[in-house]
Amino acid sequence: MKAKTSPWVGARKTAQAVAFAAWILLWVKTAGYTWPAGWIQLPARLDPLLALAVMIASRAVIAALLLSLLVVGLTLIFGRAWCGWLCPVGTLLDWIPLRRRKGAQKALPEYLRKGKYILLTVILIAALFGNLSLLPLDPITLWIRTLSGGVAPALNTAFTAAEKFLAQFGFLGNALQWLDQVVRPALLPLEAVGTRLVWLPVLIFSAVVLLNLLAERFWCRYLCPLGGLLGWLSRFALVKRQVSGDCTHCGACARACPTGTIDPARGFQSDPAECTMCMNCLGSCAARQTRFSPALPKPVRMAYDPGRRDFMISGAVALAGLAVVESGAALHHAPTNLLRPPGVDLEKFLQECLRCGLCTRTCPTGALHPAITEAGLSGFFTPVLVPRLGYCQYSCNLCGQACPSGAIPALTLEEKRQQVIGHAFIDENRCIPWADGTTCIVCEEMCPLPDKAIILEDKEILQPDGSSGILKLPHVLRERCIGCGICEYRCPQTGEAAIRVHRIEG
Amino acid sequence: MQKISRRKILKLMLSGAVSVAAVPFLEACQVKSTPTSQAPSATNPPPVHTPGATATQEPTPTAVNYPGLAVARKGQPEALVRAAVDALGGMTRFVPQNGWVIIKPNICIDYHSYEYASTTNPWVVGGLVKMCFEAGAGKVQVMDSPFGGTAASAYKNSGIAEQVELNGGEMVQMPTFKFKEISIANALSLNNVEIYEDVFKADALINVPIAKNHGMATLTLGMKNLMGLITNRGAIHKDFGNRLTDLAMTIRPALTVIDAVRILLRNGPTGGDLDDVQQMDTVIASPDIVAADAYASSLFGLLPEHLDYVVVGNQAGLGEKDLSRIEIKEILLES
Repeated sequence: MKAKTSPWVGARKTAQAVAFAAWILLWVKTAGYTWPAGWIQLPARLDPLLALAVMIASRAVIAALLLSLLVVGLTLIFGRAWCGWLCPVGTLLDWIPLRRRKGAQKALPEYLRKGKYILLTVILIAALFGNLSLLPLDPITLWIRTLSGGVAPALNTAFTAAEKFLAQFGFLGNALQWLDQVVRPALLPLEAVGTRLVWLPVLIFSAVVLLNLLAERFWCRYLCPLGGLLGWLSRFALVKRQVSGDCTHCGACARACPTGTIDPARGFQSDPAECTMCMNCLGSCAARQTRFSPALPKPVRMAYDPGRRDFMISGAVALAGLAVVESGAALHHAPTNLLRPPGVDLEKFLQECLRCGLCTRTCPTGALHPAITEAGLSGFFTPVLVPRLGYCQYSCNLCGQACPSGAIPALTLEEKRQQVIGHAFIDENRCIPWADGTTCIVCEEMCPLPDKAIILEDKEILQPDGSSGILKLPHVLRERCIGCGICEYRCPQTGEAAIRVHRIEG
Repeated sequence: MQKISRRKILKLMLSGAVSVAAVPFLEACQVKSTPTSQAPSATNPPPVHTPGATATQEPTPTAVNYPGLAVARKGQPEALVRAAVDALGGMTRFVPQNGWVIIKPNICIDYHSYEYASTTNPWVVGGLVKMCFEAGAGKVQVMDSPFGGTAASAYKNSGIAEQVELNGGEMVQMPTFKFKEISIANALSLNNVEIYEDVFKADALINVPIAKNHGMATLTLGMKNLMGLITNRGAIHKDFGNRLTDLAMTIRPALTVIDAVRILLRNGPTGGDLDDVQQMDTVIASPDIVAADAYASSLFGLLPEHLDYVVVGNQAGLGEKDLSRIEIKEILLES
């Protein structure tokens, strides 16, 4: 028998598809920065968890992030509609056909629902101490990072391989040209950029998806810290699901509910903090006894709602975690090749960075990458500049324009050209002219500064055959060098470059 | 929850994908606005259009003794390039009817506008595109592979894209799949190199470097400009003179036009300081790439012998470095 549906279900599915297309479009347009800053930053600016955590950690009101009050407002009226109607991760979990076969297993214990509240509390307590290590678990940062760090490089590889393959067939010339000159630049950075650890974001996202095998929308029910925040707000939401007295106890709604919050034991009532307003129950209700209508905010306390005890546990976890993370940072000197985007205030960067990954996506030369371990646990997935993979382009200031929290300041091109990211150092043991006595001037050639920071010294050298010749030896003038890293990127030495950018204080 | 059918999911995904894919199409439908950044200035007035000028300069079949090299001085960039090429017998000598022409300027970076003399003058390139079409070319493509910034932004910021498109030419971003490994027989040093394959398929390649200072090469001119057509440029930097000669023996431009409207005296090839730029209002043209480079060295007060690759290129029989042995036509457009 075909299940009855409600027009509301159709509306929700349409909204999900439209929103999903918009998420993708925003992400596509972030590369090469073809849309204005307000649009590019939108995904991160809508997220109230990012806004709250960063404002707590940095002890400042960040005006751009107040846009997320829209989502708070939406939640206070319609509950977790964000989760059911708009969130790209939630939509994907609905679409990907990996979910537990209904009735095949025993339902997971209800107390697991605490997980998201505990995670949320840990994030906010850590933020109080200026630590944002867990923001990579926010669904929006998860979404952007998966696309930028995993999908884009894979797509790039696929494109290149497909083009190489199709190029063998001469008659496809024009189609190939169109693919390369029109389709490719619309999706990807115009030129292939370096990437590293592509599998890591893919692996993390795959785990989120695979958890669906244990329970439908496992992530949204048990883990998502943003879901926890919006769920907590939903207890006060105006519009709530209600079941009237004429319910026939058929149980269809409980079976249709993707978050499993409709409880037969409680007269098929649901927890507004768990309900994503998907409207499936509305369609399934044969007796038409389910309604979504305005109701006075009277929060019902659920057994799994976090109590004082959970709060204490979260606090202890947060403090213990902080002690571990921060002691790791304190014991070591920061590695000198840990380079940050141009213009950042190193003192405040970790308290302001959302870990959203928009800067790494917008960087046209692929210089910015999410840190894995080099910045410590407290810097996990914050952007670092990796010159061997890409250089900071002299005529680009896009990362600062894309940054929603201002952790990377929005600078004019003139200002950005003055920012010192680090200084180049020549490794004379590996530099081709220094070590091998043969000509190479690539670093000097590449240096973009009007007064080059790399100069060539003519040195008379004795050849093995006894004759003498002139060799040009590169030197870095440190007071001129801004550490853009194009020398390191283009250094023809194999493997690690023979000229490398370091940040050395003083 | 109600089950969504596979068909439905595919439909939803398809509709999403279509809307994403539609954007570039819709953007392409918009009217393109003309960028204002490259507006002609007092120091670089817009090129003078002289319709029909070529008609009177058609080479007669008997005039087979063209000069080996032509130099035009003192005039607008487009007039200079036209005068220099006409002195060599006009563009019809180099471009076949309905032919496919590739023009290779130096667009090495996207950092500066043309005033900084790090990229070829846009009106010199635009003039060449126009002359190719006047000579009956069917397709004119212009390309380079910048090392600083992306091709798209370098094409735009140099001002070259605007002039090329204005004259009906096409800016091409060189796709990686078109670089093919070539073995060079009897090479001096460079046995294998990946070269952009279209330069061998096209009917004519016109090489349009700008004359600049360069740390290793001393000057970057015609021969060095060919490096924009290969992938592993780092490999050329070793044993430079020999390898560059090997490359120039393999890629043979029909014509080399050296833009010396502005030359970069120091801090090349990137530049960025107007004090390093000298206005010369000169264009050199020759089918002989070595001769063109040899002549251009004099603009910097150097001798051809100062350029390693000119010496090796001459020895290898690529061209003439002794300027007394070729006929040079000098044209002064304005006094």
